[in-house]
Amino acid sequence: MIVGAGLYMALAAALFLIGALGLLLRRNALVMFMCIELMLNAVNLTLISAGRALNDLNGQVAVFFVLVVAAAEVVVGLAIIVAIFRRRATASVDELSELRG
Amino acid sequence: MIATPDINWIAILPELVLALGAVGVLLVDVQWKPATRVLGAIAAFTLVFAIAFTFLQWAQARDALEFGAPGELVAFSGMVLMDGFAVFGRFVLLVMAGLGLLAGWRLFESLNRRGAEAIALVLLATTGFSIMVASNNLVMMFLGLEIGSISLYVLAGLTREKAKADEAAMKYFLLGSFASAIFVYGVALLYAGTGQLEILAIRQFFTDFIVTRPAVILIGLALIIVGLGFKVSAAPFHSWAPDVYQGAPAGVVGYMAAMAKIAGFLAIARILLTGVPQLDNSWLPVIAGLSALSMLVGSIVALVQSDIRRMLAYSGVAHAGFIMTGIVGGATTGMLFYVAAYALQLIGAFAVVAVVSGAGSSESSISEYRGLARRSPALATAFAVLLLGMAGLPLTSGFIAKFGVFTEAWANGYGWLVIVAVLASVIAFAFYLRVIVAMYMDETEEERILVSPPARWVLAIAVVGTILAGVLPAPLIDLAANAFPL
Repeated sequence: MIVGAGLYMALAAALFLIGALGLLLRRNALVMFMCIELMLNAVNLTLISAGRALNDLNGQVAVFFVLVVAAAEVVVGLAIIVAIFRRRATASVDELSELRG
Repeated sequence: MIATPDINWIAILPELVLALGAVGVLLVDVQWKPATRVLGAIAAFTLVFAIAFTFLQWAQARDALEFGAPGELVAFSGMVLMDGFAVFGRFVLLVMAGLGLLAGWRLFESLNRRGAEAIALVLLATTGFSIMVASNNLVMMFLGLEIGSISLYVLAGLTREKAKADEAAMKYFLLGSFASAIFVYGVALLYAGTGQLEILAIRQFFTDFIVTRPAVILIGLALIIVGLGFKVSAAPFHSWAPDVYQGAPAGVVGYMAAMAKIAGFLAIARILLTGVPQLDNSWLPVIAGLSALSMLVGSIVALVQSDIRRMLAYSGVAHAGFIMTGIVGGATTGMLFYVAAYALQLIGAFAVVAVVSGAGSSESSISEYRGLARRSPALATAFAVLLLGMAGLPLTSGFIAKFGVFTEAWANGYGWLVIVAVLASVIAFAFYLRVIVAMYMDETEEERILVSPPARWVLAIAVVGTILAGVLPAPLIDLAANAFPL
């Protein structure tokens, strides 16, 4: 059975939605962060399957850039989460409520 | 035979210089551990060179259009554009970066050894946003957006020992990355629908083909608008802005806010106005709706804020709405003027906040501004001028800017939006005046405030710019009118 690009893109859309919902619903900063990674990987899957269906290299090359950006985000994001954890011994975003008005 | 790619270094000279300057600052700091002001001098040289190169680019862009060869403005096989729009955006970004460095100077000095990182991050964020406004390729635009945004996340947490700055960095990071992911998913869907990543090629695609099932393209476009809407803090995607502005160190907030807004709006305008003008039946109502919502939410919620930074954040939401009326107008002149004028006022206003509450501080209650006119008459005058400029009083740049975008939207048949906008401007006067009244009418026992020389420069430039662009707007309007996208 040949799986077409459409199905891959549907899977990517599902992954993206799971990531977005996870980010909005979960309260642990690390898990929220993983959800962002999931969203970026859904983007990669979309780009690859679209590039393959269109027989165009641009989509496949773009994936490298998205990967690099995701890696850079990990560096900064984990550093911020660690800084928060050191001060408060929690990674729950519900505890981050000093800024409001 | 492999075709050599066309490389036109001039098209990316400012970014090259900025990136080299940022690396240079870090290397010099590691090798010689000089005083912060030496690093500041390196950064200043970098910015001066980068700004000088934008003049060179501007001349080339004018020449190319005059001789009818717009193709020369497409560099690096369609990755980067050197049109007036990009060069104008770059110029504004670079000037704001210079003012941002000055406004945050007290903060950078107080960070001791980490001052070098902060200065390098300012230059890197400028590099990213500058490449973003110049990019023709959507992946390139995403890269620029992320280089800028990731630098800003770190800047927001610069004083992470203070609990509120790390909270601000965290919120900015989570919501900012969420927005970036939404943006790039929109890019992927637009690519899946059109097979193109280049904005000019996407426009060509819509001229060449009639799209019968545009669902994927429209969803992609909607996601791009949402993603960039987050970055420019347009309602209903503004929830991060008040918290981040409140918690981040005062010295860099103005810079952060101004850069993200300039680059975000220029990117929205480029994608919508040059990429998909044929789909304007679909996106014009969306942008108009976002614009109306932003103006109303921003103006009304700002009324009840007790922290001046949250007030400025909500006023920024309202301004995002005003700037989007320019995009609804379908032209870039008014929008470019507005973005430039507002960015200057924003940096100036946060420079005042940094002086009054301290450059590394989080939170600034409006009550701190009671009787400011007695503590420092010059500071209070400057702040009053900037606030009135934001409110759009005649004879300030804010008035000309608002007038420009409103006429464009009116001419494009969006009269109802202009009425909402005028209403929102009137509401907005109330909260700006509240601060001014507190500064001038209230008494205080607090001692005088001394304004440091760098902050004085920022305020002088911001105030003079605001008044000059309000009294003699013609040169800037001409410049903005010549800075149309390719």
